[in-house]
Amino acid sequence: MTKRLMLMLCAALLCGVFVAACGDDSSSGGGGGGGGASEESGTTEGAKVIDPGLAESAKGEVTYCQGKDTSGNATFMIEEFNKKYGPDLKAKLVEFPASADEQRTQFIQRQQAKSGDCDVFSADVIWTAEFASQKWLYDMTPYMEDKKAEYIEAPVETVTYDGKIWGVPETSDAGLLYYNTDQVKEIPATWQEVYEQAAQEGGIVYQGAAYEGLTCDYLELFFGAGGEVLSEDGTKSTFAEGDAAVKALTLMADGVKNGAAPKAVTTYMEPESLTAFQTGKPAYMRNWPYAYALNQKAKNVKDNFEVGPQPTFEGGEKAGILGGHNSVISVYSKNPGAALKLIEHIGSEEIQKAYAAQFSLSPVKAAIYDDAEVQKAIPFATDLRQAITQARARPVSPVYPQISQAIYKNVNAALAGQQSPEDAVKQANSDIDKALSTF
Amino acid sequence: MADATAHTGAPQKRRSRGLSEKGLAFWMVSPSMALIALVAAYPIIYAVWLSLHEYSVRQAGLSRWAGPLGLRNYTTALGNSEFWSAMTTTLIFTVSSVFFELLIGLAMAMAMHAAFKGQGLLRTVVLVPWAVLTVVTAIMWRTIFESPQGFVNQILGGDTVWLGSEPQALIVIIIADVWKTAPFMALLILAGLQVIPSDIYEAAKVDGATAWQRFRKITLPLLTPAILVALIFRTLDALRIFDLPYVLTKGANGTTTLSLIAQETFATNRIYGLGAAYSILTFITVMIVSFTYIWTVGGNIRGLAED
Amino acid sequence: MATEAAVAERSEPRTKTKKARKPSGGTPWWMWIAIAAIVVFCLFPFYWLVNLSLKTGADLGDSSLFPPNPTLANYESIFNNGDFTRALLNSAIISLSTTALALLVGSFCAYALARLRFRFKFGILALVLSITTFPAIAIAAPLFRLWSDIGIYNTLIGLIIPNLTFALPLAIYILVSFFKEIPKDLEEAALVDGATHFVAFRKVVVPLAAPGLATAGILTFIATWNEFLLAITLTSSPAARPVPAAIAFFTGSTQFEIPYGTITAASVTISVPLILLVLFFQKRIVAGLTAGAVKG
Repeated sequence: MTKRLMLMLCAALLCGVFVAACGDDSSSGGGGGGGGASEESGTTEGAKVIDPGLAESAKGEVTYCQGKDTSGNATFMIEEFNKKYGPDLKAKLVEFPASADEQRTQFIQRQQAKSGDCDVFSADVIWTAEFASQKWLYDMTPYMEDKKAEYIEAPVETVTYDGKIWGVPETSDAGLLYYNTDQVKEIPATWQEVYEQAAQEGGIVYQGAAYEGLTCDYLELFFGAGGEVLSEDGTKSTFAEGDAAVKALTLMADGVKNGAAPKAVTTYMEPESLTAFQTGKPAYMRNWPYAYALNQKAKNVKDNFEVGPQPTFEGGEKAGILGGHNSVISVYSKNPGAALKLIEHIGSEEIQKAYAAQFSLSPVKAAIYDDAEVQKAIPFATDLRQAITQARARPVSPVYPQISQAIYKNVNAALAGQQSPEDAVKQANSDIDKALSTF
Repeated sequence: MADATAHTGAPQKRRSRGLSEKGLAFWMVSPSMALIALVAAYPIIYAVWLSLHEYSVRQAGLSRWAGPLGLRNYTTALGNSEFWSAMTTTLIFTVSSVFFELLIGLAMAMAMHAAFKGQGLLRTVVLVPWAVLTVVTAIMWRTIFESPQGFVNQILGGDTVWLGSEPQALIVIIIADVWKTAPFMALLILAGLQVIPSDIYEAAKVDGATAWQRFRKITLPLLTPAILVALIFRTLDALRIFDLPYVLTKGANGTTTLSLIAQETFATNRIYGLGAAYSILTFITVMIVSFTYIWTVGGNIRGLAED
Repeated sequence: MATEAAVAERSEPRTKTKKARKPSGGTPWWMWIAIAAIVVFCLFPFYWLVNLSLKTGADLGDSSLFPPNPTLANYESIFNNGDFTRALLNSAIISLSTTALALLVGSFCAYALARLRFRFKFGILALVLSITTFPAIAIAAPLFRLWSDIGIYNTLIGLIIPNLTFALPLAIYILVSFFKEIPKDLEEAALVDGATHFVAFRKVVVPLAAPGLATAGILTFIATWNEFLLAITLTSSPAARPVPAAIAFFTGSTQFEIPYGTITAASVTISVPLILLVLFFQKRIVAGLTAGAVKG
C-alpha cells in the first residue's frame, strides 16, 4: 500500500511539474502574436506613451536609480528637487554598482520582474534600443517635441529609436585624447602621426581589454576611417565593407607590435590606462573627461598634461565616441507624473549648470558650455563641446550587446596577436550578422 | 533472533511497534524527495522547456517553438564553434586542475601523515585555502598576477600579461583552482591514510619492503577508495567551474567555460532558448562523466546502497 | 549497560594517536622543509590579501611585500558600509537556515538509505548524487523567471530554496556514509529492547553520528556561504544580497576604479569566521572524513 502511495505521489509531482512548466509558458508564448514578426519595424508598436500633462499634478514619491554616485551630483540633484517640491513630492536615490554592465543587469532584472522599484533610471546611451524594443520604457516623444532644440543633437540621437524618443539626455561624454606636454607640444593632425610619435617616444595607452570600452576605442578609429557598422535600416552588417575596418585595426595592432602601445594594453580598462598615464611615461592616453580632474591630482602629470578632441584618421574624418546617460521612465513605474517632474528638474538650467560647474560632467545643452562658471570649472569646455558635437553614436540596435561583443572579442584577439586584422574583421563581421539574425 | 525474543513478550507489542520498515522508510525519504522535486526537478524541467523554444530578444514577449522537434537551439549550439571551444577549455581545465590537485594533495597528505608535531595546527593551515571563498580566491590571485599590484612579474622577470594572454590566463585560473582545492584533497586523502593500521607497515618493513614498495603495494591500493571519492567530486566540480573565470577574466582570452557561455548567452544577451540549451548541454556533459565514473568505479555507491 | 558503554567508546573521534606509534628518531630534516612548503603554499596568498588590505592609495600599486604605511582605514570603511554589514547578516541567515534544513531533512533520508530495506535504494542514491552535479546556471535561469512571478525574487527565502538543491544531496551523501559506519549491533540491541526503528534512530544512531552531522553541517554551511552564481542572479538589492555578490558591488572613488583596498579588507573579514570555524572543528572534520571516504 505504501509503495502504491509513493508511486502516486511521484506521478502527481511529475504531472504538477509539467503542468506548471506548460502553464507558465503559455503566457509568454501567446502574448506576442504570431511568430515571425518582422525584424525591425514595429517592434515598439503599442508602447506606453507618456502624457506630458501628468507632470502638472504630480505628487508622491519617485525613485531615481543610477550607478554609484561617485561624483555626488545625483545626491545634489535629489536634494534640490526635494527642497523645491517637497513635501508633496519626494525623490529618493537608489545606487547600483559602478560597473555599467551591472547597472544594465540591475535594471533588466527589475523590468523582467515587472517591478516598479525604479521610476527613473539613468541609462547608458547604448541601451536605448534594447530597452525600447522590450517595451520597458515610456515613449517620451510628446514630451520632447518642443524641447529637442535646446539639446545638442548627438545625445538626442542616442535616445531615439524606431522614430520615437525614449528618454531625456542627462549628461554626455566623449572620447578625448590626453597628452603629456613634456613629450608632445600639441596633438598632431592625424591618428597615424599620433601612433608614429608614440612608437618613437612615450607610447599611447587606451582601453584594450575585451569589454565595451574597447568597442568605443576601436570604433573611434573605425568611424574616422569612414566605416559604418550597420546598414541604414540596421538589419545588415556593413562592418567589413570597404577597408575602414582593416585599416583601423591594423593601425592599432601594429601599434602593439611595434611598442607604440604596451602589450598590457589588452588588459586595460579605464582605471589601468589612467594609472599608466599617470606614471608620466606614456605620451598619449585615450580616455573620458572624468580623467581630467584625476590627472590634476596625480603628482607625475598634474603640471604637464593637456587634453583635446581626437585627431582625424588619415584620409578620413574626425570622430569620437559619444557616451553619456539618458533619463528613462520605466513602464512599471507607479508614479509616471512624478517621474516626469524629476526629469524636468534634471533638465533645468540650474541643475545642468551645476552638473557642469560643480561636478565637471559634460552638459547636454549647448548653451551651458558658454556659461562663465562652467568655462572656469572645465577649462577645456569648448574643446569638450566640439568633441561631443563631432562624436558618433555606437550602432543603434536591440542586440547591441552582442554586436559589441562581436567587435571587442575579435579586436582584442587581433591586438593580442592571436588573429590577423583581416581575419579578425572577417570574424567580427560574421559574428555581427549572427547577432543581427537573433530572433 | 529479534523475532524470537519479541515473541516472548505480549503479541500486541510487535504490532504496535510503530510503522513497518517499509512504511518508516517511505516517511523518512519522502520529505527529501519532495524537496528535491521542488528545488531540483522543477527548474531542470523548466530549463529543458526553455531550451525547446526561442524567445525573441528584439520584441517583448514573443516566443516560438524551436523547429519541428524543438531542437533548433541544440543544433545551433552544437554547430557553434564558441561552444566547442568552451568545451575544450573546460576539459583542459578539468584534466589539468584535477591532476595537479591530486598530485599535490597526495604529497601534502603524505607529509602531514608523517609529521607528528602540530598536527591540528597543520590541518587548520591546510584548510585555509578551502575555507576562503571562491570569489575571494579569484580576487586574491588577480592581485598577485596583475601588474602593478602583483609581484609575479617582478619575481619571474619578463612582462607577461598574465590575465590578458591566451594560454597564460587559463594557467592562472588553474593555479587558483589548484591552490584552493589541493589542500582539501590532501585532507580527504589524509583521512584515508589514517585508517591504514600501522601494523601493516611494520610487517612490511620487517619483510624488507622499501619505502617505495610500501607506498605502491600498501598505501596506494588502500587509499584508492578515498582517492576515487575525491576524484569524482572534484571532476564534476571542475566541469562546472564558473566563479573563478567569471571574476578573473570574464571569459576573455580563451577562458570561457561551459557554465560561462551559458550564463553569458542567457543572462547578458537574453537569448533564453539558446542559453537554456547550453545549460542543458553542460548538464548532459557532466552527467555523462559522472555516469562513466559510477559505472566503472561505482562499487563505492553500490556499497552504500547495499544492506 | 553494555550498549551505553559501547556507544560511549565509539563516539570518541578516532584520532591518529590511538593507532599510530611514534617513529624512531623523531622527524627527519626534509619533513620540516615539506611542512614549511605546505604552510607557505597555503598561507602566503592569504597573507598577500591581508597585506593589500592594510594599504591605501598609491601604496596599492607598488606590489611591496609589506605595507609601507599600514592602516586600518579599509576595514573602517567596510564596516561603515551598511550594505556590507547587511550582506554579512544575509549570508549568515541563508547559510544557517539551509544547513539546518538540509541536516534535518537529509538525516532522515540518509538513515533510511543506510539502514532500512526498501526498493529503489540505488536509484534514489544515484538521483541524490546526480543532483549535486547539476550546473548552477541551469537552476538559476528558470528560477529567476519563476521567483519573479511568485514574488520571492530578491528575498532570503528565494535563495535558501535553490541552495538546498545542492546542500540537501550533499548532506544526504555524507550522512549515508556515516550512518553506515555505525555498527549495526547497537541498533539491533535497542530494537531487541523494544524500541521502534525511529526511536533507535533518535536515541542510538543520532548521538553516534554527531561527528557526521557536524561534518555535513560544516561542509554545507561553507558551500552555501560560498555560493556565487545564484547570489548574483536572484538578488538585486542589499536587502537580500549575500556576501559573495556584495563584494562585487564594492566601488571606488570614481566610476571606473577597482578598490582593491576595500575589496581585500572585505575578503579578509569574511574569511576569518570560516577559518575560525575550521580551526574549531578541524578534528571533527578529519575524523568525519575518515568515516566518509573509506569503507570502515
